[in-house]
Amino acid sequence: MPPPTRTVQSGLFSRYGARLGLPAGIVVTLIVGSLLSDRFLTVQNLTNVLINMSIVGIIVVGMTFVFVTRGLADLSVPATVAVGGLLVLGLESSIGTLAAAVVGVLAAAIAGAVNGWLVGYAGLNPVITTLASGTIVLGIAQVFVGGVIVYGSDPDAQAFLTGRVFGVVPVIVLIFLAVVAAGHLVLSRSVLGRWSYAVGSNPSATQASAVPVKRVRAIAFLLTGTLAGFSGVLLGITLQTARPGIGMGYEFDAITAVVVGGVSLLGGSGTVLYAFGGLLFVQLLTNIMVLQGVPTEPQGIVKGALIAGAVAIDVALRRRGGRE
Amino acid sequence: MTSSRHILDSDVFHALVRNRVVVILGATLIIGATMVPGFLEFRTASLGLDRMATLGLLAIGLTVVLIAGQLDLSGGAILALSGIATIGLQEQLGQIPAALVGLAVGVAAGAINGFLVVVLRINSLVATLASMLFFRALCHLITESRPISGIDPLFGLVVSRPIAGTFTGRTLLFFVLIILLHLWLTRSVAGRQLFAVGSNPASAEASGIRSRAYLFGVFVFSGTMAGVAGVIQSLSVNTGSPVFGENIVLIAIAAVVIGGTRLEGGRGSALGTLGGLLTIAALTTAMEYQSVPAYLQDIVTGVILLLLILLDRTVSGSQRRDVTLVALVRRARSSWSSRKNERTPAP
Repeated sequence: MPPPTRTVQSGLFSRYGARLGLPAGIVVTLIVGSLLSDRFLTVQNLTNVLINMSIVGIIVVGMTFVFVTRGLADLSVPATVAVGGLLVLGLESSIGTLAAAVVGVLAAAIAGAVNGWLVGYAGLNPVITTLASGTIVLGIAQVFVGGVIVYGSDPDAQAFLTGRVFGVVPVIVLIFLAVVAAGHLVLSRSVLGRWSYAVGSNPSATQASAVPVKRVRAIAFLLTGTLAGFSGVLLGITLQTARPGIGMGYEFDAITAVVVGGVSLLGGSGTVLYAFGGLLFVQLLTNIMVLQGVPTEPQGIVKGALIAGAVAIDVALRRRGGRE
Repeated sequence: MTSSRHILDSDVFHALVRNRVVVILGATLIIGATMVPGFLEFRTASLGLDRMATLGLLAIGLTVVLIAGQLDLSGGAILALSGIATIGLQEQLGQIPAALVGLAVGVAAGAINGFLVVVLRINSLVATLASMLFFRALCHLITESRPISGIDPLFGLVVSRPIAGTFTGRTLLFFVLIILLHLWLTRSVAGRQLFAVGSNPASAEASGIRSRAYLFGVFVFSGTMAGVAGVIQSLSVNTGSPVFGENIVLIAIAAVVIGGTRLEGGRGSALGTLGGLLTIAALTTAMEYQSVPAYLQDIVTGVILLLLILLDRTVSGSQRRDVTLVALVRRARSSWSSRKNERTPAP
């Protein structure tokens, strides 16, 4: 089933611009990168890009669901990432890494469920709700660790995650790609996916056709919370250290990727694969900047400009397509 | 269940919800006064308010943005940027011109937000998120991520010293501005039109209000207030830093929302924001005197904020009801007399 699109009619550009813009952008980035630096197009470097995008990429999958269901955005991501990271490292010495990881993901899932209830069922504004719940969750996580840094005690788990299958593909990248594949299948092939698009494009009509609108929107936030927790667990294990600020900035990175991937903030359109493409594009761009010796700070300028540009194009295309 | 619904639907409950700022502020003051010795002393109040002044200036801008049905997350970054301009340009331009440039930075940043939202039609959440990243990155770029200091530490005393033994300069400035905002919102035609734009920009446009101009204006105003906050904050500590104001926007939004302004737009008041700020000031002061750690304070602020918007949502269906004291008395009297009429047999 092709992903539902909202473009209705008119010119070639508005019909294919949004679809082809991103792949074209990625190709251009690859060409420019290889021209600027001979280190860019190496297996080593591209693998590094993949590793770097794995942690935030898992969150991107969840954020895509939030966007598609017109849930605006989940700003509690940094908190849920921290919960996952802090819990897995804090508990692993007493109950083992695997059990600690499960507890970490579950705790984040609970936070996601609360967000889902507040946004989906109670009908609160997602932005303010997740901002507030984020501070609460992060505060609780800090109470748990006493506001300091937690260190890990399981180098084996770290070695496993940073290790490589067949000596080439890093384990963490495989996990990330599995999450992307699962997320893509759910959104494009399952009933939940079809409902998500319906809820995002026209909530009241969808409500009228007996789709559980509230539940679908709640599930999107539950998913994001759970995946952010999972990503925090992975981050904690790879770094073997976690502090409450560990997830800072991930919400913006995830939103950037989703928005650059052409997933509309107005809901109802976009796919996980395009969000993945958006992430890849941003990461390649960052990688080029790093290779060119551009310091970290100006990269924020590029990211900010990217978000604004991508959304402006989205809105413009939509208007030309006869919507709005 | 029916009894709880009855309570949720009663006039008294609605009146409490409508005036919740007063209720919450009163409760906070009473709890604070019983728990913290010397809580109600003037010096404590003056100090507590002084620390809220920067936050309050941001909240003034946000009140207007929220009434217009928009959101501005970039205030903290604008604050840092204009602070850096204020301090960093002192050597070249002199102190007062540098402060004016800092102010101009706020205006310009607000205009950028306005351009993104009004001209490019980007949702204000994403637009200000993007501009927040942008401004913050600019701060780090200019200062190379290091705080910078000004040339004369005594220059900023104007804003941080109590004037005539009362409040500090910035607290007084905040009070003056919030009262001006209150007058503008309630007494001026433009103020009332802002509410119309906030509840429904399209229908406001249809009735002859230039919605887009108003939307552009609120972002410029919000940026300007963030600029004022940045100038004052950086002058008072004689430092400009790229990390200033990192978490301030959430607390400012919390203050505005506690004050009864709705995120959906079209409703809100300056006095409500003042109440919200006083509540947060009292709460923070009380918790700090009890040496509650910062993250627990965050939890408390977050929980209060969530409960309030939840409460607001539960009763929002019947918000239009008139629950002023006069109306309540009149309604009670009429229901009393109608009951009496029922008892008297018809002639």
